[in-house]
Amino acid sequence: MKKILLITSLLVGSAFAQVNGKIEVPYIDYKLKDGKNKEVVEANCFMCHSFGYMENQGAQSRDFWYKKVMKMKHAFKAPIPDEDVNKIADYMFANYGNGKLK
Amino acid sequence: MKRRDFFKTSFVASAAILGSSSLSAKELQSPPIDNRKIGDVAFPEKRPLITYSDRPPLLESPRETFAKGITQNDEFFVRWHLPEIPTQIDLNSYTISINGLVKKEINITIDQLKNDFEQVEITAVLQCGGNSRSAFHPTVGGIQWGSGAMGCAKWKGVRLMDVLKKAGLHKDAHWIGFNGKDKPAYYEAPKFIRELSLEEIEDNFILAYEMNGEDLPYLNGYPVRLVMPGYYSDSWMKMLSNITVTNKYKSYFYMDHGYRIPDNDTESETPEKHYKPTKPITTMNVKSLIGYPQNGSKLNLNSHVVVRGVAFDDGTGIKSVSISTDNGKTWQEAQLKQENGRYAYTEFRFTYKPTQKGKLTFMAKATNVLGEEQPFAKDVLWNHGGYKYNGIDEVTVEVI
Repeated sequence: MKKILLITSLLVGSAFAQVNGKIEVPYIDYKLKDGKNKEVVEANCFMCHSFGYMENQGAQSRDFWYKKVMKMKHAFKAPIPDEDVNKIADYMFANYGNGKLK
Repeated sequence: MKRRDFFKTSFVASAAILGSSSLSAKELQSPPIDNRKIGDVAFPEKRPLITYSDRPPLLESPRETFAKGITQNDEFFVRWHLPEIPTQIDLNSYTISINGLVKKEINITIDQLKNDFEQVEITAVLQCGGNSRSAFHPTVGGIQWGSGAMGCAKWKGVRLMDVLKKAGLHKDAHWIGFNGKDKPAYYEAPKFIRELSLEEIEDNFILAYEMNGEDLPYLNGYPVRLVMPGYYSDSWMKMLSNITVTNKYKSYFYMDHGYRIPDNDTESETPEKHYKPTKPITTMNVKSLIGYPQNGSKLNLNSHVVVRGVAFDDGTGIKSVSISTDNGKTWQEAQLKQENGRYAYTEFRFTYKPTQKGKLTFMAKATNVLGEEQPFAKDVLWNHGGYKYNGIDEVTVEVI
């Protein structure tokens, strides 16, 4: 009896240790819609997050996307060149916008 | 630009602004997006879930998970903030550092956590503050979650206070800052640090290393995370590695700008004018979800249907769950099962025999022991972060 108990506890102790080796989180190829300045968006945004993170914010205004880009640049320190800020906001508004400027 | 052109442009612009605020009808909230497609790809230790992003990983549980009182580890939702999450954890070297205004700085290994402290267990709901965000109109910024950024698990670990006592708090200790192993892409970017004041810390806040009898899944914060029963998940720090004790509130980005709502009686504001000041979202309001049947299910005429779901609040305690089949005109009480304590899901079930063919809508409304109940979806008040949605859930089926 004692032996059976020991075996059981060993099983419980080791069976669910799941993170022994290197974990691999899958890569998902979220496609951005084709549009003007798509390449600018790809060059600036992908360093920090997937395109899924952008596409799943809901349809938003030009002002929303502009403020989002500025937040990435200033609060999150993404090295987005000044001349790219409006290009990114324009692309997001044209392709993931709600038609409203504000 | 010519002066005349300028006037023309500004006239058009102001007309557009007026149009959007005065001519359009006030938008109301509606039930969050439901039945989103399950992703094709399974993440580590997870079955395929609704997938919003791989980096950071953002995974939502499907509606069927609300039919059970405990959410399985492999279907439990996932929400990280920062892109760089260590892909290898060495338990021999992994420590939680407790530093700052303590008598003795200590580094606790997982082994010490499991052996040197009293081990405790609590079953508690973990829900993202932005869960159900897609219900808000006009659409607010942030991931457009359906209702599945929540789950309920049995957590095992040690009391946060016991760990703090081991290090010994200075008498002027006031704020406790928590940080995990995940990192931003750029060194200068803000870390995901959360702070709690010492008075907020309850005896049931634990550092958990086990979830439903297994190691924490990697994506749920392996090897150890903070558990705060009754609170939204924003401070349940995953892959917890550092606890810093201070006497003053440190102004961190994720404390000052994230997970905050209007600090007024109704916790609401208008899209035109965001309310200030704001306050942290803290504890959860009363909510319930139907797990079975689902939107679009087909039920047979005169069949014996058991509607199942879960209800919860901040631990105050669920008193009743009522079901309506006539769009909220009349309500009947469901049976409750509460076997995992007041911070866990209360399970409900309601038997019903459909006697008419066609569309049929079930609504579920929970009420807690203080009499707080869920509002209809359209009556939930708007906030620009899209937090704390708790509208009455509904599922529409077809009786054939």
